[in-house]
Formats: sequence, structure tokens, C-alpha cells
Amino acid sequence: MKGGERGYGRWWTALGLLIAAAAVLLVASHSFLAMHVDPPIYPGQGVTHVGALSDYFDRLAGTPADTPVYVLEGAEPGGTALILGGTHPNEPAASLTAIALIEGATVTRGRLIVIPRANHSAFTCTDPQEGYPQTYTIETPAGPREFRYGSRGTNPVHQWPDPVIYINAAGQSLAGAEVRNLNRSYPGAPDGNLTERLAYAIVELIRTEKVDIAIDLHEASPEYPVINAIVAHEDALSVAAEAALLLEFEGMQIGVERSPTNLRGLSHREWGDYTDALALLVEAPNPAQGRLRGRTNAELIVEGVDPYYVRAAERGLLYVPFLEQGHPMDERVGRHLQTVAMLLEVYNTYADADVVMVGVPTLASVLDHGLGAYLFPPAAPTDSP
Amino acid sequence: MTLIYQIIAASVIALIVWNLLREKRLAEQMAAALVLIPLILRVLMLK
Repeated sequence: MKGGERGYGRWWTALGLLIAAAAVLLVASHSFLAMHVDPPIYPGQGVTHVGALSDYFDRLAGTPADTPVYVLEGAEPGGTALILGGTHPNEPAASLTAIALIEGATVTRGRLIVIPRANHSAFTCTDPQEGYPQTYTIETPAGPREFRYGSRGTNPVHQWPDPVIYINAAGQSLAGAEVRNLNRSYPGAPDGNLTERLAYAIVELIRTEKVDIAIDLHEASPEYPVINAIVAHEDALSVAAEAALLLEFEGMQIGVERSPTNLRGLSHREWGDYTDALALLVEAPNPAQGRLRGRTNAELIVEGVDPYYVRAAERGLLYVPFLEQGHPMDERVGRHLQTVAMLLEVYNTYADADVVMVGVPTLASVLDHGLGAYLFPPAAPTDSP
Repeated sequence: MTLIYQIIAASVIALIVWNLLREKRLAEQMAAALVLIPLILRVLMLK
């Protein structure tokens, strides 16, 4: 008889281990279920209506993909702009920019529609084997406010299984996991999988609300070529180019990329092809996303400091400068806010029906005062941020 | 599809619990208890 087979296992050790497993299960369940509770967003004085994306496609109602839609309508009639944050919840500056607009911006002419958690399901999990924290905090003057980090794709608990090859509604063949990527699923399909129905609902919103200009906010890893950039559908290229030029005059370097016609399923391509909106996508640098990053934690997400990226930049491996101060969230959200404001400003010079908003801080203001100064405090708000 | 997946996972859980109760080696019992955790999270669609 082998020594191990003598063992010490008895019915009561089995029972004890089952109880221990149940205890671990309880703790783990609590942690995973907490991901399904949305951290609050406090509508500011500029918000005139809060609806749901399922208002535009009822088959989304009651699903984990349904998500709030915030409308900021001005006293004067004008055009309509759509801002999308949270297409990829592992790109948090996008969602935070949308939240800063909801909590602090006011529209005087036209309408601003903001979806801060575009892929709501993807906020309920993180990507496996990446070591991401479930949450991170932004310091406000009244204390830290917690936000959720999420996944690039729809939670597999909500949409399963992934195919080996995903052919999206626009006919593009992609890797199987992209079936849960909202920004590969446009223009969506009313009878498709959950992510395709979500994409379809967003396109329906653009059509129903007659959106004139639609901006999809993102982040990219420092080693990704399309970074600190505006990607524009050909119809929106002149607006993007002029905005980039003016942003350069203001000291903010940003590139312009034309939306490839052969890369289908992305917002900047399909929104432009399937709707009348000028379609744009904006990228900021997120050190927590890249493969060259070091320790992955909430500090990296918020502070954006990583010595390995500093070394990679010294060796010319990155597409953005990367100094010791890194790329903090304040900078990334500030860039997005100033870019959105500039895109609308340029759009207004061309359009008959413009969108005028106030209360949007510049990059310099966010760097000076911190993003938290432009968000409500963690407790229920009593006044504007 | 998801229901079939859950039935398969639940069947595996039942077999593991059965083995855990009959197993005489403590190390094997511990391994079985560890394996149960992600499987139960799967069946409950929590992760």
C-alpha cells in the first residue's frame, strides 16, 4: 500500500472541507455579485431626462445589456450630439468622461445624449488572467468615490458560448471572442446575440433621435498605434482634422485617422454608413491595458505610472511619450473632455443646427484641480460639482 | 445551450462530492473541495 493511500481522510474531514468550500463560495459569490451593482451616477443640473436604451429597442428591456441614457437639452433648439462611454469598461477614462459630462455640463442650445455605460454587461466582470481590480477610486474634495473597472466584452455569463470565428452583422470575420465586443458588432442585429442587439439599439437611438454627431470614447494601450487620436468616418474627417489642428494650437497633441473601409463592425465605420450622424472615435492612452505593463492594480489605473512603460518608451517601442509621471486619469479624462468640446465647437461652425454646451473643463483645468473636482462627492449630491 | 452546460457542470459536481465523501486520502479530498468552488460558481452563473 502506498503511504498516501493510508491517508487521514474520514467522513468528518470531507464534511469539514465541504463546509470550508461553502465558506469560500459565500465570500467569492458576494464579491462577484457586487459587480452587478452599479456605482451611482448623479445627474447634474444640465440633465433634463434620464431614459433607457431599451426605449429604442424593446427587446433589450430586462436584459443585462440595457443601460441608462442621459439627455441634456438646451433651452434653444439645435442639433443633437451623442457621447458614448463604456463601450469597453476596461478603458475607464471613457466612462468617467461621460459621467463628468452628465454631472457637470449644461447644454444651452441643442441636445447632448450621453450613455456612460454603453456595454453595461461588460461592467459586471473583468477579463480573465489580467489581474484587474474590480474597482478603483477617484478622490473628490469630499472623499474617495468608487467606480467599477470592467471587461472589454459582454460578460460570458450573459452571452455564451463564443464561436471559433465570429462573422459580424457587417460581414467581417473576426476571432471568436470578438462576438462579445460591442465595437465589433455594429450595426447590430435585432435577432442577433445580446451584444448585437445592444449595438442595434444604439444605432436605433442614433436614427430615432436624428443624432448629428456621435462620438465613441475609448482608451488604448501605449504600444497600440491608434492612440491619442481621433478616428473619423470620411464624412466626419474635416471636422476631426480641424478639431485636431485647433487642439494642437491649444497645446494638446492629437492625431487623426481615417476609418478604414475594410474594417467592419466598428462605431466610426458603421454609424457613419448606416446613419446620418458624423461618426467619430477618440482614443486616450491607458497604461493598465497594455501587455508591457507591470503590477496591475487600482493605482496603475488611476495614476497611470509604470516603470516598464518608461523603459519601453526609451527603447522606442511605444506610440505615445511615456515619462515617469505616466498618464494619469486626470490627463486622460481631461484630453477626452477637451476633445469632445472641440469637436462640437468645430461641428457648430459647419452645422445649421448646433450643440452648445458649457461647464466642460479643459485638460489644463482637470490637471490643475483633479478630476474629482468635476464629479459629485460620494454621498448623494446637494449641488453641482 | 447554457442549460446543457449547467446540467453537465451539476453532474460533475455531484460526482466530485460523491468521491470526496468516499475518498480516504486527505490530499485528494482537499483537491476535490477546491475543484468544487469554481464549478458551483459556474452552475449558479455567478462567474
